Amino acid sequence: MKKVFGLLVLIMTVQHAFAQKDSLQVDENNNYVYYKVVEKANLPADTVYERAFNFAKTLSKENKPAKGQADKAFNISSKFITYGGMSLVRKESGEVKYTLNFQAADGKYRYNLSNFVFIPYKRDRYGNMTAVPGVEVAVEKFAAKYSQKEKDAVLDQIAAQSLAIEARLKQAIDRTKVPVKQIEVKKVNTGNW
Amino acid sequence: MKKRLLLLSFAALSVFAAKAQDTTKTDPPLVISGSVDTYYKYDFSKHSNIPTSFASDQNSISIGMIDLALKKKVGKASFVGELSFGPRGQVQSLPNAAGAYDESANSFHIQNLYVSYDVTDKFNLTGGYMATFMGYEVISPAGNFNYSTSYLFTNGPFQNPGFKATYAFSSKVSLMAGIFNDSWNLYTSVNKVNTFGAQLMVSPVAGWTAYLNVLSGKLSGTEFDLTTSYQITDMFKLGLNAADFKPAAVVGTGGFTGVALYPQVAVAKDVTLGLRGEYFKTKSGSYATVGPPPGSSVFATTFTANIKAGPLTLMPEFRLDSNKNDTDGFSTSSGNATKTASQFVLAAVYAF
Repeated sequence: MKKVFGLLVLIMTVQHAFAQKDSLQVDENNNYVYYKVVEKANLPADTVYERAFNFAKTLSKENKPAKGQADKAFNISSKFITYGGMSLVRKESGEVKYTLNFQAADGKYRYNLSNFVFIPYKRDRYGNMTAVPGVEVAVEKFAAKYSQKEKDAVLDQIAAQSLAIEARLKQAIDRTKVPVKQIEVKKVNTGNW
Repeated sequence: MKKRLLLLSFAALSVFAAKAQDTTKTDPPLVISGSVDTYYKYDFSKHSNIPTSFASDQNSISIGMIDLALKKKVGKASFVGELSFGPRGQVQSLPNAAGAYDESANSFHIQNLYVSYDVTDKFNLTGGYMATFMGYEVISPAGNFNYSTSYLFTNGPFQNPGFKATYAFSSKVSLMAGIFNDSWNLYTSVNKVNTFGAQLMVSPVAGWTAYLNVLSGKLSGTEFDLTTSYQITDMFKLGLNAADFKPAAVVGTGGFTGVALYPQVAVAKDVTLGLRGEYFKTKSGSYATVGPPPGSSVFATTFTANIKAGPLTLMPEFRLDSNKNDTDGFSTSSGNATKTASQFVLAAVYAF
C-alpha cells in the first residue's frame, strides 16, 4: 500500500513539475511576464551586455535587437510555434510573439520576456497549418476567446520557451559549452566465434 | 498488487510522456489533420433545387466526408497526402481513376498529394496534385464558414496538378507562378502540361490579405480571380471573392462572372454569424455552368451561424436563391417553374 501511495505522490509530483506556467509572473499592470535578476560579479557590465546582445541576434530572423533608452539595455521581438493536441493529432496550434528586454549593470543583469501575443493557426487548403490573418490575442485576454484548457496549454509552452531562452542566455553570457556526450563504440573481435 | 503497481507506473509514464510532447523543441514527426462532416437539408420545394456542390440530399440526414491529411517535414523537404472518403470527398469533388465524376467506378480518393522543398527561407518549390489556389471557398468543410457553397466555387477549379514556385518578398508580399496540367480537376493531363497559373499575395495592413489569381490555358480557359479578407475588428471580418471566366475556344463560348461578399460577426466567444451575398452572371454563349443557363444570372443569399463546442462546429444555415428568369432551373413543389428557391441546412463539422 505504501508503494501505491508513493507512486501516487510521484505522479502528482511529475504533473506539478510539468505545470510550467507557474514559472510565469504577472507584473504591476497584470500582464504576464517572465522576469529574472541575475548576479554576475565576475564580468564587467559591458561584456555581459555585448554577449547578451550577440545572443539576441540569434532569436529572430526578421528582427534585430534594438538599443533601449536606458544604459546597456536592448530589446528584441521574436516568436515561437506552439503545439496542440495529443499523440497522433499533435500539430502546430499557433505562434506566440514576445519581446525580450535586457539590461546589464555592474555586478548583475536583468531581463524579462513579455508582450505575449497568440496567433492561432488553421489548416489551409493545402493541408498546412498556417496563421489565421488578422487574429491576434494577448494572452491576458485569452479567457474571452479560448477555454481554460487551451489557455493553460499555451501558457505552459510560453513558460517552457522562457526557461529555454533563460538557459541559452545564461550559456551565452557565461560562455559555457554544451557538454558533448561521447558515445563509446564497443569493439568486437569478429575472428572469435 | 503487482497489477496495481504496473498500472500506476504506466499512468505515471503516460503523464510524463504526454507532457513531454508539449515542448517546442522539435517538429511533430507526422502531422495528421482532417475533418468529419454530416448534415441535414430541407429544400422548401420538397426537392433539391439549389445546385450547391455539397449538401445535395433532400430531407435526409447525410454524410459529407471523412478527410484525412498527412504531412511530414524533414529539414527543407516535406510532403502532404490528403485522402477523403464519402460523397463530398469522392464523386462531388473528385474524379474517379478514369477522370469521370462517377461513383460507380473506382476512385483514388486523393485531394492533395504533393512534395515540397524550401530552397531558401523565402523560396519554395512544390509539385504534385494540389488543391487549387483560386477562389475563396475550399472543399474541406472545416475551411469554409458557410456549409453550402457559392456558384463561384462550384464553377471554378477544385484541383490543379502541376509544378509551382513561390517567392516571399516579405511577410506582406509573395508571388507564385506555376505550370499546370491542361485540364482542371483531373489526375492526369488530357494531352499537355500547358496551363499557366500565378498568384500575387499582398497584405497591405495587419489582418488584410488579398490574392490576385490567374489561370490560363488552351484547354482550361482563362479565369481571373480576386480573393480577399479583412479582419477589421476582433469581432468583424469581411471577405470578398470576384471572378471572371472565359472558356477555351475548343470548349465553347461565353463563361461566367460573379462576386460574393462575406461579412461575419462574432456575437459571443463560441458563436459567429455570417452572411454570404453572391451575384453570379452567366455570359451568352455555348458554355453551360452549374447554375442558370447562358445569358442569365442568380442572386444568392446565405445566412449561416457557426456555433463552436471545442473542435465541433454546428452550422445552421438558411439560403435563398433568386434567378433572373422563371425558366432558369428552379421549380415549386408542384413542379411549376419559379424564380426562387430556398433551403435549410443543419450541418455538424468536427475538425482535428
